[in-house]
Formats: sequence, C-alpha cells, structure tokens
Amino acid sequence: MTDFVQLVIAGLATGAIYALAAVGFTLLWQTSQTINFAQGEFVMLPAFFALAGMKFLGLPFPVAALAAILLSMLTLGVLFKTVIVDPLHKQGTLPLVISTIGLAILLREGVKEFYSAEAQRFPSFFPDINLGTAANRGGSGFNVSADQIGVLIVATATILLLAWFLSSTKTGRQMQATAQNPTVARILGVNVERMVMYTFLINGALAAMASLLISPIYLAKFSSGETLGLVAFVAAIVGGFNQVRGAIAGGFLIGIADNLVAAYVSSTYRQAVPLAFLVLIILVRPQGLLGRAEERAV
Amino acid sequence: MANPDTILSLDNVVSGYGKMTILNGTSAHIRRGKITTVIGPNGAGKSTLFKTVFGLLAVRTGKIEFGGRDTTNWSPRQMLDAGMCYVPQGRNIFPELSVRHNLELGGVALADPSGLPARIESMMQRFPMLSEKANAQASTLSGGQQKLLEVARGLLLEPRLMLIDEPSIGLSPLMVQEVFGILKGLRDNGVTILLIEQNAKMALQMSDYGLVLEQGQTRIEDTAPNILADPRIAELFLGGGLKPAITA
Repeated sequence: MTDFVQLVIAGLATGAIYALAAVGFTLLWQTSQTINFAQGEFVMLPAFFALAGMKFLGLPFPVAALAAILLSMLTLGVLFKTVIVDPLHKQGTLPLVISTIGLAILLREGVKEFYSAEAQRFPSFFPDINLGTAANRGGSGFNVSADQIGVLIVATATILLLAWFLSSTKTGRQMQATAQNPTVARILGVNVERMVMYTFLINGALAAMASLLISPIYLAKFSSGETLGLVAFVAAIVGGFNQVRGAIAGGFLIGIADNLVAAYVSSTYRQAVPLAFLVLIILVRPQGLLGRAEERAV
Repeated sequence: MANPDTILSLDNVVSGYGKMTILNGTSAHIRRGKITTVIGPNGAGKSTLFKTVFGLLAVRTGKIEFGGRDTTNWSPRQMLDAGMCYVPQGRNIFPELSVRHNLELGGVALADPSGLPARIESMMQRFPMLSEKANAQASTLSGGQQKLLEVARGLLLEPRLMLIDEPSIGLSPLMVQEVFGILKGLRDNGVTILLIEQNAKMALQMSDYGLVLEQGQTRIEDTAPNILADPRIAELFLGGGLKPAITA
C-alpha cells in the first residue's frame, strides 16, 4: 500500500509537468489551429537555455532559470509565431504540422550539435530531502522526496494561476472567446491577433516551467523531447483536444499510469502507456474524456 | 450621401472570396431608423453584403458610406466604434462561457469600460431571461435564447445600425415572433435594422423597405409593401430570375 501511495505521488508530480506541456499544446490548437509536434522539444530546450546561462555567462541558477523562461517566451512564443506559424498558417493545417516536425528535428539536433549529446545534470529548486517517516527512510517503507512535493505544488500552482487568468480576467475571457469562436470574437471587437500572441507567450512560459521542473528528475537531454512531445499530444487527446481541463486530466492520468506500469508491470512498457491510452480513447471515446464533439462545416 | 434619410449607402461595391467575385457592383441606400429586409436567391450575395459592409471582407472597388463617413475597408472594430453591430447567421455564442460573460464580451469595444457593468445590468432588465440564466454556461440555452443573447450582446454598444443575418433559422414560430418583435421595438427606438431572411414574405410584412439582390447586384429597392405586391418577386423566388427587360 505504501508503495502504491508513493507511486501515485510520484505520478502526480510527473503528471503535473505533463499537464503543463499538454495545456500549452491545447491552447495553441484552440486559438490558432496549430498542432505543435515540436512541443516536446519546446520542453527540452529551456533547460539548455538555463544551463548555457550558467555555463557561459556564469549566472546563478535562479537568474538563469528566470532568463530561460523569458527567452522561451521570446523564441518559442514570439519567434515561433511570427517566423513559422503566421506565414504557413495560410497554407492550411498540414504544411504547418510538417513544419513543426521539422522544427522538432532542428531543435533536437541543434542542442546535440552545439551543447552536448550527453544527458546533463540539472539543479533543482527544492532541497534533496526525504519527507518519509524516519523509521522507513532509506528502507522499503514510505519515501516521498521534497522534490516531488515541490514539483507537484509548483506545477499545480502554475496551472491554477493560468486557469484563474483565463476565467477571471477580461483578457483571459477574450482569449477563451478567441479560442471558442474567433470570427465572432473579431465581430465583437476583440483584438484576435493579440489574443493569439498571448497564447504563444503563455505556451512558451508553460514549456519553460515544465522544462525546469522535469530536468532535475529525468536529466536534460537533447532527445528527451521525443517522449515529452508524445505525452503532451496524447494527454491532450485523452482529455479532449478542445478542452484545457481535459489536457490537465490527461496529463495527470498518464503521469500516474506510467509510474504504476513501470513499477508493477515493467519499466520497458513505460513508453507504451501513452500510446495504449491513445488507442483506447480513440476506440471508445474519440472526443476525449472531457471533450465535446466538434462539428466541422464543409 | 446627399439624402439625410440614408444612413448606409453602397456605391458599385465589388467583393468576394479569393478568386470568386460575389458582390458584382452592388449599390444600395439604407434608410435611417427603418427595417430593411434583404432578399434574394441563394448565392445572391446577401451574407457577403453584410460581411463586406462590416469590414470582414475587403472591398475591391466601390465605396461604402455609413453615417456620412466613408467607411470603405474599415475594420470590424472601426465599424463597431462608428455605431454598427453585426449578428451573423447560425450560433454565435461562446458555448463554454457563462451568459453574463458572453454579454460582457459585447462591450469589448467600449471606449470607457467603467460603464460596462451598468450596461450589462440594463440589458438583463430588458431581457429577464438573461438575468435568470446569468451564471449558466451559454451552451445550455435553447436556440432561441441563444439568439436573444446574441442580439442583446450586439446591443450593448447601443449601435445605430444592426446587421442581422437569418435570425429565424432553427427557431420555433413563437420564438421567431419574439425576435421580430424585438427588432421592431429597436426600430421604434431609432435603431436602423438591416435584415436577411429566408422567409422573405414574413420578414417583408414587418419591414419598411426591401432590397432584392440577384447575382451580386441590386435588382429592386423599394418599400416593403410594394415589393410584396410585385409580381416579379414570386418569379424570382421560383428560380426564374428577373427578365432583363423588366429591370429599369
């Protein structure tokens, strides 16, 4: 039982990070019909921004982390939108999808070429202590690290802050309006272009948060975006492609499931978990757990 | 425009989608404070006319004047500021936002946002249904209630002219009467209504003027009773098209 609780807590911690990436993915889809297959690389890259800041500029970790978030908003937000999405959007969804796949390869290989092909240790915001009961510490008993709890709290707080912003501020509601019906939003005078830009900035910030939280656990590596991108994509689909809260649920679900499968079945199957979910959901409930069926006018 | 009764005029307007030209030199004069119904067969360019006037489609050639100003190729935001609102065809609510927040979005273009809460309150008094459902998700409203919400949202800026496209689609006859009643009430308060209706006869019966479009051009501009009595209209709607000799 203690094993199970530990695994669920670890799963919630990774799940919260997956949820950050999945929420950003969903937001981009909703407001700009961008299916970003580079989302995993977007989560991989900011950790290297921070590492580069510390290594080449000698910045202390907190400053480097903050710089990484800002730089991510600039590059993964503004640059991504203006250089790739805006010009290609007019050509339809598919060319944009393929471009994001190309971008993923570019980012992956770029980091490998210019930084390192080795997995990098990454500092954590949280102290490395075990919060488990003293008697069990180090044994087979109850082990929960401050790191896991810290990740869970920070990621959840980020999501709650975003949810609050979207539902409780006028700008947030204009963003929701843009996501739900851009034409009508424009007719009412909403500055749709600005709302879409906000979405890209938020996605950049969410990806950076996810990156800073996950890299201490799984190390920073050029190839880590492959799994993360898949998880974000599947979490978004499992939860319902058009629902932010669906993406949150999907992220947590996959986080918990892959920890449980790794422990009780085999860690070899860990990567199969998101794919199994994907197949199951598409077969049983194609609109996703919380999604609504989308009608498409021809 | 010289005539002070005209609030909106189109002069030889050409517009369309991509390579397709829909409005093919459309001219029209819409009377201030009246209901004008635009009728015409499918593909005549009725909805395109609205989108072009409201700045959602570019005017290629020609000129649009609204309230004495040249508004050719103004943006929707500029048209809102000039006193026009547009209620498109179909469902135009934000389904996952509450009724109150849907209404609030009608005030985005308000120059002074501090007046917004009072406007929302007065709109809710005018339409008590909106007040009862204020906190419900808009998707839970019936089709007719959604249309009322759209109209109320459009009225939040106190427009001088409302473009409303096929408001009766999918509504019960009773609800259609209610929506038409609201439009008449607006007209009586000085708001100009430009209406598109598939049910041309019913719409013309409550209109002051009618505008018959065919193939992107104005074929008839007259009072509603005259159009209702015009034998050519039946012919047009039976798909025959107007005989060129008759158009003068």
